[in-house]
Amino acid sequence: MKNSKDSLVPILTPVCIILTAMLLASGLILAIGVNPLTAYGQMLKGALGSLNNLINSLNKAVPICFAAFAVAVSTWAGIFNIGVEGQLVFGAFGSAIAGAYLEGLPPTLHVTLSLLAGMLFGMLFALLPTVLYVARDLNLLVVFILMNSIAKLLITFFIVGPFAVPGQMYAATKEIQKSARLPYLVTNPNKLTAGILIVIVVGLLLWFYVGKTTSGYRLRACGENAEAARYAGIRVKRYQAGALLAGGALAGLAGGIEVLGTYHRLFDGFSPGYGFDGIPIAMLASGNPFGIMVGSFLFGALRVGSTTMQSKAGVSSEIVTFIQGVLVTLIAAQYIIQFTIKKLAEHKPEKGGAKQ
Amino acid sequence: METAVNMKGITMRFPAVVANDNVDFEVKRGEVHALVGENGAGKSTLMNILYGLYVPTEGTIEIWGKPRHFSSAIDAIHAGIGMVHQHFMLIPQLTVADNIVLGEEPRSKMSYLRGQAVEIVEQLCLEYEMTLKPKEIVSKISLGMQQRVEIMKALYRKADIIILDEPTAVLTPQEIDELGRMLKKLKTMGKTIIIITHKMQEVIDFSDRVTVLRRGKIVGTVNTEETTAAEITQMMVGRNVSLGGHKEPVETTGAALEVQHVSYHDGRVKKLKDISFLIRRGEIFGIAGIDNSGQKELSEAIAGVIHPDEGCILLGEQDITKKHTEAIKHMGVGFVPEDRQKSGLALGMSISENLILGYEGTDRFRKNRILIDKNEVLKAAREKIERFDIRPPQVGAIVKTLSGGNQQKVIVAREISHSDSLIIANQPSRGVDIGAIELIHKTLVDARNSGKAVLLISLELDEVMMLSDRIGVMYDGRLMDVLDASKATREQIGLLMAGGMIHEEQ
Repeated sequence: MKNSKDSLVPILTPVCIILTAMLLASGLILAIGVNPLTAYGQMLKGALGSLNNLINSLNKAVPICFAAFAVAVSTWAGIFNIGVEGQLVFGAFGSAIAGAYLEGLPPTLHVTLSLLAGMLFGMLFALLPTVLYVARDLNLLVVFILMNSIAKLLITFFIVGPFAVPGQMYAATKEIQKSARLPYLVTNPNKLTAGILIVIVVGLLLWFYVGKTTSGYRLRACGENAEAARYAGIRVKRYQAGALLAGGALAGLAGGIEVLGTYHRLFDGFSPGYGFDGIPIAMLASGNPFGIMVGSFLFGALRVGSTTMQSKAGVSSEIVTFIQGVLVTLIAAQYIIQFTIKKLAEHKPEKGGAKQ
Repeated sequence: METAVNMKGITMRFPAVVANDNVDFEVKRGEVHALVGENGAGKSTLMNILYGLYVPTEGTIEIWGKPRHFSSAIDAIHAGIGMVHQHFMLIPQLTVADNIVLGEEPRSKMSYLRGQAVEIVEQLCLEYEMTLKPKEIVSKISLGMQQRVEIMKALYRKADIIILDEPTAVLTPQEIDELGRMLKKLKTMGKTIIIITHKMQEVIDFSDRVTVLRRGKIVGTVNTEETTAAEITQMMVGRNVSLGGHKEPVETTGAALEVQHVSYHDGRVKKLKDISFLIRRGEIFGIAGIDNSGQKELSEAIAGVIHPDEGCILLGEQDITKKHTEAIKHMGVGFVPEDRQKSGLALGMSISENLILGYEGTDRFRKNRILIDKNEVLKAAREKIERFDIRPPQVGAIVKTLSGGNQQKVIVAREISHSDSLIIANQPSRGVDIGAIELIHKTLVDARNSGKAVLLISLELDEVMMLSDRIGVMYDGRLMDVLDASKATREQIGLLMAGGMIHEEQ
């Protein structure tokens, strides 16, 4: 009986957190003079109201989901990864280059190579922080923040500099070849990219890896207690390095899929902060790949729905940023929320109580 | 005789447990009263209630016959109660005198009168016949001295009733004797003393009366003179207990482990200084010493967690000095580390997952090169839970939720069942209740009887003396001497533990 209650906590906690965040946002919406129910209604409609909108939400969820996977992998190893954004942008660059400048390849091969290029670039961009962390034990938080800035500026330089296409309105790389485009699963009423399939495959692989394999067990042991893992003979640094590099690859994949599937080129500031969205999702889902998929869909829907909310209900789409900010704060305070849930559960009369 | 403390019908309910269940506890003026019980029996809860840290769910407290209601420790201090916690609450950077007066400093309008504080402490030392150097920095004095500072803190606040929580946990045998004398002195000066403990020796040596708690309830209060250690233990556990396992005569064959001239430094501190000894198969080699004498580093060097600067370590014929922990573990070395929560367990993982930590790569637990054999892991976990009586007996229970004793059982179960040649047990029974200690002792002795070598490191001299075949004593990173356990005396070992003998030899 006690067990079933405990197993509900990982589900109840994120639900409570999300509801609380939306409730707080309602306060703001009220203050603007709009009925929160109307606003949320419009948001829901905009996100899921039609097949067209649903496809939009799904497309939006894809890069967010990969970013969250990237964060989750390092969370398993006990590392807080906020460098995903930079790796994602760099990975996108890799895919854009491979997609645009490799020529005469059959589509399957070209897409695959371009995606691999994205993963490789993402991984390369994670290499320096990884080495600094493993060999020198540097504070990753600081390194990642700096690396994110470097990525952003470096990409801007590439786009307006060596890879600039003359005579364009926007600063962007050359459009990728037709053969490098990610195919669509559905084109009517809206285009749904095959990225969603890759999400599902990668999600399953990650779930399998972390839960079923010896290596995944070791990785989790490092994350749970690095000291104990070291005492047990697990090569902790090696696993952590692996997790950071794999995270880089996943982040790169996020950027690559976005370029190959949606924009077909890389323009400046193409990521609205997918890499940062990944952090609260990974934490809300406590690193569970399926939870991450659900959470990413929610975030994608939030992003898409907020545009409708803005135009129909007159509430700025920035409210989503507010909701996300509250989410992060609440996640940081998760202990308090779990405590409250338990307290509330205890107040309910129990039969054959859990006396020890 | 006057009644100092009278707690009646105390019940303390926490969300999941009843820590104290209708407890009546009475202490007379001028006695040393021992409060004993296993871990989780409710001793600390009861004393925290008396010291005002918890407000009981039900029950009343009378001090010197007057009903009192404490809502914080400050109330208790005003009522003349002092408490010395197991982990000292001192500020290491301040002097002895500063620490003693802290919170109630002698002061003029503007400033703290340090000189006056020193005088006060000197005065108190005279009064209670204690030696303390008021101007010394606390971090530079021994743990025994620090404890004296804590007691003095209580006396400075005019405590008549002093509670000592596990007072001997960190002391050498000589310091324990000294504490005994101090308690007698305080008693003759009319102070009332309550000691919380689970060590029988202290109960017998120090106390006038004993109250035994078991699972939150009072089992009884007896006069120490009219009882025996065995009887008290039985009251505590509810059955007969025999510690120390059953040693059978074993023919010790060859060296299982040889440590030769091992030195190690951490930063600028030399932690191990030229250590050499050997352990034979079928032998328990005990290491005695006060805390932080290099025991931790020694165990880690053998297990390959750290690598010595000099010297070499042989396991059987093989040189393992530079080998990785993983390789050493696969050679049949089990390692129970000193701090179980920090270095022995992944607290957020389940019992079954913790039971394979470090052994997940062995053939038994893997289906093939990639996959874990979940069924086998669960099967092995069920066996171990049964054999070591781990509670709750659920393979999926998260280790964080287990009691300290059961957490330790998880580690011991894991390390012992995977070791064929050597078991390194660093403080295997620290913070574990008697039932679990009995089992751990039996397991170590059984391992010895079956021809394994055991390196037992413990701060509890009794444990080392009871289990070991030979005893090495460490002091300040040095192995002072190796004694035959059947001939060694407490005094000999105690002297070596304090660094003695060195001068006699030189």
